[in-house]
Amino acid sequence: MKKSLMRSLAIVFLLYGIAQLSADNISFNGYGRSKAGALLSDWSVFMQENTLDARFSWDTDTTLLYANLILATDEDQIFNAAIRELYLHYYGDSFDIRIGKQQIIWGKSDAVFITDLVSPKDLSRFLVPDFEELRLAATGVRANLYSGNHQLEVVWLPLFTPTVQPAADSLWAPALPFPVQPTFLPSIKPDLKLSNGEYFARYSWLGSSVDFSLMGGWFWNDTPSFSVVSKTITPSVGLTALSVQGEYYRTASAGYGLSARVGPVVLKSEGAFYFNKRYQGNIAIYPQGYTEKNAIHYLVGTDFSISGTTLGLQFIQEIILDHEAALVDEAFTNTATLLLARSFARDTVRLEALTYIGFAAPDALIKPQVTWKITDGMEIAAGGWFFLGDSGAFGQYSDNSSIFASAKIYF
Amino acid sequence: MKNKRIIGFSLCALAAIALLNPLSAQTKTKAPNASSSASASEIMMKVYARSQPADMSALLTMTLIDSKGHERVRSIKQISASFGTLEKKIMQFQGPADVRGTSFMSWSYAEAGKGDDQWIYLPALKRVKRISSDGRGDSFMGSDFSYDDLAERHPNEDTHKIIGSEAIAGEECWIIESSPRDKNYSYSRVVSWVSKNKQLGFRRDFYDKGGALLKTLTILKMEDIGGFLMITQTEMRNVQKNHRTSMVFTSVEVNKGMQESVFTERSMMKAL
Repeated sequence: MKKSLMRSLAIVFLLYGIAQLSADNISFNGYGRSKAGALLSDWSVFMQENTLDARFSWDTDTTLLYANLILATDEDQIFNAAIRELYLHYYGDSFDIRIGKQQIIWGKSDAVFITDLVSPKDLSRFLVPDFEELRLAATGVRANLYSGNHQLEVVWLPLFTPTVQPAADSLWAPALPFPVQPTFLPSIKPDLKLSNGEYFARYSWLGSSVDFSLMGGWFWNDTPSFSVVSKTITPSVGLTALSVQGEYYRTASAGYGLSARVGPVVLKSEGAFYFNKRYQGNIAIYPQGYTEKNAIHYLVGTDFSISGTTLGLQFIQEIILDHEAALVDEAFTNTATLLLARSFARDTVRLEALTYIGFAAPDALIKPQVTWKITDGMEIAAGGWFFLGDSGAFGQYSDNSSIFASAKIYF
Repeated sequence: MKNKRIIGFSLCALAAIALLNPLSAQTKTKAPNASSSASASEIMMKVYARSQPADMSALLTMTLIDSKGHERVRSIKQISASFGTLEKKIMQFQGPADVRGTSFMSWSYAEAGKGDDQWIYLPALKRVKRISSDGRGDSFMGSDFSYDDLAERHPNEDTHKIIGSEAIAGEECWIIESSPRDKNYSYSRVVSWVSKNKQLGFRRDFYDKGGALLKTLTILKMEDIGGFLMITQTEMRNVQKNHRTSMVFTSVEVNKGMQESVFTERSMMKAL
């Protein structure tokens, strides 16, 4: 650990040194943050991390080289170093090309990922981290063509990057859709070969009063379905043992994004049609453990401001077409989000609260936070993650309600 | 319309001076034409219609100074241009570090009642988002300027009357009181000092809805740039809270032939 820490710090100082040698077209910035969180149930500290987020860029009129390096220690004092992004970007007159590891963010909504098809997520701690940290980079090539306010973007990802799931022994391990605790076999990932590439395209237009986009992709689902490998049925007892294996599978999706200004408010919507998405079901009915269904996922929402407070409301619905009773998920899953934000004291203090509400259970996640900018380069923050309900996407974590505090220094 | 922020305001609505200076050297006389609302409107219309460059780029340094004299500095690169009745602008933060790379884009329309289109790009979230154009009375980036203060306001939105005249640093000015037709406007009235010889105003007093003086805007520096008299330094003082904000424009360039295609999502996401 000490060795890799020293190596990573050496890289950071090297980048910083380069930045200082030629300040005109080289920049080095980022932040250092210390963050701790404790569970309300027993006040145990489940998060104690120190992070250095270092960003280096070298740019000319036509080219940008960008690197984002993350150095972190976690609550077990385990050191991690990761390259969040590393890419080369070429700016043409009417087109751009970016090659390398990069985050590609699509969609019009806040805190929801419906048409955000390209970049996988880090859900190892559910939705607790900042959204900047939830999104992972994908490795590939992105090209953008521009004509006025029209934009066409195509993406090719030869390397598959899955979404990170919570570890089975973590606080954030989700409730499993199986009647007994299964044994998990290592997931099957697509081999590294040309024919396993992922392909995405998006057309977008930004105009007076309305922004519009259409997108589609043929890709590997970032989260695996679980296939039953073996099961043991004991007479008069029933199912007593189960082995399952995660499978990443090919799927396709097509969607839209829309935002419009109507008077003082912004209305927005996005939606996607998913082809042959896998849903887990009763293994007595589906021997494989899942079945494929087409699905629609959409959102409608609005952003507006009242007396200095910014509000965002969203209603999200996922519909499984041709739904069958043996599926784990309901035919309709309804969720809403509410975002409130307000700044005080000449923008030095910011209050915000993001709430997810699940209608089925019902359940909720409330994420309030207050941030105080002590100086322009330093801020402290405190807040909480409050899970309400007994079941559902949020209620299943009702024992994980917690509070946190952090200090952040920008450079 | 309301959101023709900095450039609209500073290049057009106010304007003036080499004459700034000692407001203490003012000599005030009673309004000779105090009942002439028609001529007051004409004066304000001339200020509004004053010639201005088709496009501009500049570095803006905004310094927020609290009652104890503590300063916070924001550095912004901005570009703006007019295309007929449409004005487009991008403001991109250069500092402080926590907001570096954040961009705002606004498209403002001359048509009465047509609100601005506005977008924000947050580097951390890596996407451009359309935002509400409401909250015009809100503070601009924590400063003493509100979005309303920075907007170019059409004279027809107010009624005007001359309430006096005054010499400031040797420049004879009309003192014109403007009262909003829309009672939801941020202020109950605004009093402007407008040169009698130039279509320029160079001081403004803003009164709150209770009728008390809230803020005073003064112009500290003007320069002739590309044949246009440009305000390059202003200060807004909140007299009720005793804090102030200065704005200084540097590296100002005008009429460089900026194309409309510059004002896009792409420009927001890359360094200007």
